[in-house]
Amino acid sequence: MAEVLRSLRLGEGGDPAQACVRALDAAGVALSLLVGADRTAEPLWCHPELSARFEELQFTLGEGPGPEVVRTGSPVLEPDLDRVRPERWPVLLPAARDLGVRGVCGFPLGIGAIRVGVLTVLCGEDRRISEQQFADATALAAALTGVFLNGNGHVNGTVPGPDRMPGWPTGLNRPVVHQATGMISVQLGVSIQEALLRLRAHAYGSERPLGEIAEDVVARRLRFGDELDDDISGPYSPEGGKG
Amino acid sequence: MSAMARERRLAEIFVEVADSLVEDFDVIDLLHRLSARCVELLDVSAAGILLADAHGELQIIAASDEHTRLLELLALQHDQGPCVECYRTGAARTNIDLTRGEVTAAWPRFAAQARETGYVITHAIPLRLRNRVVGALNLFQTAPHRLGDDDIALAQALADVATIAVLQQRTLEQSHVENSQLQNALTSRILIEQVKGVLAERWNTSVDEAFAAFRSYARARHLRLSDLAAQIIEGDFDTRTIPAPHVS
Repeated sequence: MAEVLRSLRLGEGGDPAQACVRALDAAGVALSLLVGADRTAEPLWCHPELSARFEELQFTLGEGPGPEVVRTGSPVLEPDLDRVRPERWPVLLPAARDLGVRGVCGFPLGIGAIRVGVLTVLCGEDRRISEQQFADATALAAALTGVFLNGNGHVNGTVPGPDRMPGWPTGLNRPVVHQATGMISVQLGVSIQEALLRLRAHAYGSERPLGEIAEDVVARRLRFGDELDDDISGPYSPEGGKG
Repeated sequence: MSAMARERRLAEIFVEVADSLVEDFDVIDLLHRLSARCVELLDVSAAGILLADAHGELQIIAASDEHTRLLELLALQHDQGPCVECYRTGAARTNIDLTRGEVTAAWPRFAAQARETGYVITHAIPLRLRNRVVGALNLFQTAPHRLGDDDIALAQALADVATIAVLQQRTLEQSHVENSQLQNALTSRILIEQVKGVLAERWNTSVDEAFAAFRSYARARHLRLSDLAAQIIEGDFDTRTIPAPHVS
């Protein structure tokens, strides 16, 4: 898994999906991101072709692990599709069987209410997912969340350059960061996802740790207003001056 | 609390938990209640429950009170603290004297912040699932009395109940429920922090006050905290229907 994360970083090995398939020992891997105001799932990369076709199928039908992950934000694990009740995915199940898909697991990309996308893993002949595969897929989804929260990869399929380490952005383990994100989303009238971006942009711009900025927001020493401001994050500090 | 009163209270708690596990329960709220019961039964000052995430880092899932000060102290243990040691070794670490530098040398930042909050003793009890450790129960005391073996055994029993609660199967759809449950609980926790911020800003209150109002509303209507939080953040819920806390 470390190798995959490295290859994501360096953009080596050409195809990140192929690297993921190898590392997860899966039959296929697909990554779709949620884009636009209506949060449509757009496939970003898939390997092999079977994964691409399954991805298109599940999001066209709106049935399957992918759409369920998008709705609930929780992992969906069905490594053996024969054991899924037919009425759960009535159209998808027979179609998937025709494609030769045996089992599927979906992993959310996101933080709390923030939903970035979904990683769909096709299972192999043995129709199971091991604890190790689960842990690896979850770690991969977390790393990819970090990449896409950094604003990378959503324009096209290119993987981030070496200056953008894929991985969990630092500071996100602190409750105060998520509290501040919620406050900023109301202050600016933006989505929770954009609020986190603005918070992180401000921390980056002011060269201070994310947690410190978040503390200022929660203590109301710092407010993000939408006044005309050259600073992208546009915060307003009541004590005068910025941040 | 007398031994008999305590035994009766413990029985009540187990019944309360068993009742909660029957339906599609709110894991965050249940763990919060359990933390509060730890404080009550063990006569400690505060309790927190941490779960390991996909990276093996400990994250807060619930605490006996939601004051940001306590949450932040628990959050420090993603990389240092007695719970990290407990999680790695699988062994309980009890009666740790926070005032003795040589005892806390491995995690100075945690110890300093704990002392600042007024705590002098801490304990870390593993959350065990068969042969695997999934997290830790953290106890804090402002008074320097030691917990005896009976207290520690009781703490371990409560930690075991917490583990069962987290890993309780919610739906039969999922064949790999245990790992997903851990993941869901961690996601729910972050969601709740986000909604605290949203409500605090709308109501112009502290995040702690906002959470108290949010929780009483959810409890009175038997709504899961994470479900209500998700609805509020999505804008699918009119927060004016929740009685706002009085601005202090």
